[in-house]
Amino acid sequence: MLEGLVSQESLSLNSMDMSVLERLKWVQQQQQQLQQVVSQSSNNSPELLQILQFHGSNNDELLQSSFSQFQMFGSGFGPNYNMGFGPPHEAMDECISRTSSCHMEPVDTIEVLLKTGEENRAIALKNKRKPEVKTREEEKIEKKIKVEAETESSIKGKSNMRNTEASSDTSKETSKGASEIQKLDYIHVRARRGQATDRHSLAERARREKISKKMKYLQDIVPGCNKVTGKAGMLDEIINYVQCLQRQVEFLSMKLAVLNPELELAVEDVSVKQFQAYFTNVAASKQSIMVDVPLFPLDQQGSLDLSAINPNQTTSIEAPSTSWETQSQSLYNTSSLGFQY
Amino acid sequence: MNTYNMVKQRFIKKWINTLHMLDSSIEHPLNVTERKNAIRLSSDLAIAAARSGSTVWSRALISRSGNKTTNKPMARRILKKARNRMKNRCRTLRRNGNFTAKVGVRKRTELLKSLVPGGELIDDKDYLIRETLDYIVYLRAQVDVMRTVAAVDLVTGNLTNDRRNK
Repeated sequence: MLEGLVSQESLSLNSMDMSVLERLKWVQQQQQQLQQVVSQSSNNSPELLQILQFHGSNNDELLQSSFSQFQMFGSGFGPNYNMGFGPPHEAMDECISRTSSCHMEPVDTIEVLLKTGEENRAIALKNKRKPEVKTREEEKIEKKIKVEAETESSIKGKSNMRNTEASSDTSKETSKGASEIQKLDYIHVRARRGQATDRHSLAERARREKISKKMKYLQDIVPGCNKVTGKAGMLDEIINYVQCLQRQVEFLSMKLAVLNPELELAVEDVSVKQFQAYFTNVAASKQSIMVDVPLFPLDQQGSLDLSAINPNQTTSIEAPSTSWETQSQSLYNTSSLGFQY
Repeated sequence: MNTYNMVKQRFIKKWINTLHMLDSSIEHPLNVTERKNAIRLSSDLAIAAARSGSTVWSRALISRSGNKTTNKPMARRILKKARNRMKNRCRTLRRNGNFTAKVGVRKRTELLKSLVPGGELIDDKDYLIRETLDYIVYLRAQVDVMRTVAAVDLVTGNLTNDRRNK
């Protein structure tokens, strides 16, 4: 039955100019078909169903884990299968509503897992560890810093899980520096003394660790978060801070509007280089503005670097700017067209 | 520390571009509110552009601003209306929302979703928090840059006034 699915996918997805909607519908169809399969085989593995539900809550990471699953079974299903899941990933990347569409795909792959029998258990366990590694890769791939991604993800993966030891495969993989998602790393889980080795509790623990790590970064970025405990309080602080910053932007733009009768902000007098020079001077003199700067764990691209690793000096700012161009080219065209009269 | 400065520099470059674009396409003279909206719009687009990547908020911000600027005569009206609507929504939420801890995480996440552009589309709480952190960094950069630019403008304004008075 899976062969039939494979052929269907290859047929439908060989044409790359399928619209996003069609791709989503295709994914839904696949899910429905596989759902029937799942219901038949659900008796065999109730745990895997629970894992399914657990994974239903994590979308992006599952996308990556689904990729890894594919590469695992790629040999069995042929190259078409891999290609089949390639386009939806890109399409979903371009959609703004990416998380809603992501729901379908991971379920598919996990259901594919169910068919294959004993390997499922080990792989399902691995599945939970991989999202951590893969999420960073997904972001980095778009920015085309591959080496950094590998090291980052490996370090993050290692540091995040106290109970796991990454096998030598992971380290070998990371040294490749390729942006391939095919990774066969087995992360062996070793529970600590007195803790349950239940699949569930391991998953829960991994998830809790991830969340606590994020909370730590929150405390670094949002000032005053240390005194508050509990999720509700932290969220309060974050909300407060975001509202504050937005109000500040509003106020500052009003101030700039008042100070400048034309919309130029004295920009013509000051070239970009002068601006930069001004900023570096300001950085040296005004301590107040730069106080919080070291706390931002930014990576080279300016995205939030959750592993807080100091980046190496090679940058490629061109990569983000080109994607910016493609994304907003239409925006500027329409705006310029709309404004001319 | 270097990377934060780089973020700001990228923001400055984009902002200059967007300002020029907006400047060439908007009729003059504008009153203060319209100027403020134009500046706000251009700087929002600039931070979204500087972040241009895989974040939901940057893309949502771009699309949101794009919807506002398509039709020229309606544009300013729509801009004002959109601003008011957002402000009112924030105000009412603040009134209703001195949340006790009992009300809990759910309502706060709803509120956060409304604040972060594109947040409504995110279901996963982890991802929402990550997006929020990223957005905060860029907001911070925006605020810093605008503050220094305002300071520069103030200083140059004073200087020109002194020169004129002399």
